[in-house]
Amino acid sequence: MTGLKDSILAFCVWCNQSLVGHTIRDSVWLFPFVEIFHLLALAILGGSMLVLNMRLLGIGFRADPVSALARDLRPWIIGSLVVMLISGFLLFTTEAVKMYGNWAFQAKMSFLLLSIIFTFTLHWRVTNRDESPASVRWVTALVSLILWTGVGLGGRALGYVTTAASSVAP
Amino acid sequence: MSLDHFLQWLDATHFSAIMRESVWAEPLVETIHVLTLTLFLGFVLLLDLRLLDLALRRKRVSEMFEQFNPWLFRGFAIMVVTGLLLFSADPVNFYSTLFFKAKMIMLVLAGLNVALFNATLGRRINEWDPAPVTPWKVKLAGAVSLVLWISIVACGRGIAYALPPP
Repeated sequence: MTGLKDSILAFCVWCNQSLVGHTIRDSVWLFPFVEIFHLLALAILGGSMLVLNMRLLGIGFRADPVSALARDLRPWIIGSLVVMLISGFLLFTTEAVKMYGNWAFQAKMSFLLLSIIFTFTLHWRVTNRDESPASVRWVTALVSLILWTGVGLGGRALGYVTTAASSVAP
Repeated sequence: MSLDHFLQWLDATHFSAIMRESVWAEPLVETIHVLTLTLFLGFVLLLDLRLLDLALRRKRVSEMFEQFNPWLFRGFAIMVVTGLLLFSADPVNFYSTLFFKAKMIMLVLAGLNVALFNATLGRRINEWDPAPVTPWKVKLAGAVSLVLWISIVACGRGIAYALPPP
């Protein structure tokens, strides 16, 4: 584990010192500019996931089969996820070492990894078919909502968690 | 009571002081405001993209309105309440920023865009909805909405940077 931790820290240091990290950090308006893309992609990604999960829960959009909604929304889900990952990485490079020791950031990345895996495996399968039993749909939607909400809450919290650049959280 | 007086009065209220000084109030309310972007803004953008024939083309526009609007209204209510709470924490400084004024003006414009749509194109929705492509006027309404909401998000972010540090 120490080896992995060291490599991650080394990567964070590299990000911090990279041209991109420098440029965004030194600019007054680049950081908020990238944040706007992050927020707009959040709206599309979160909105599309909400539509699918509300459909699975049976509390909205019942006129359409789940699979049809999923097919229509998938390009937007994938596209906005890509924008979120790119804009998020750009924001990360400005204070990568600080984020390394930030427990909220660590939680956000853990939730993000789980969310992405879940979305493209079980969630994908359940939204691709219209015959899944209600209980399976319910659990799938709830897990998806909880995981993505975890990502969002982690993202909100990381700004409030102040850590010294050198400190390493347990 | 003039606007300045109102802002100063609000600023001096006990409620404003709580919003400003509590460790939890502002982060909590801002978190709700930001995460509700998914419900409100996400649905608005999906509707705009539908009007532009870019998303969910299989669904009729009238169907989209029927299914999205109830949730959109709930999301909007949460955005307004949390937005007002955030504003009440620091009304004088909020109002002093150009971004806040621009955001409010564009919110009004977005509202007018919806009102105009409902009064004209919305009334004749049964005439154009069955067609495979939306008429250019409908696309224009969607594009105007899209541009306004993107600008509103940008201004919202701008306010945070323009406010004097606490």
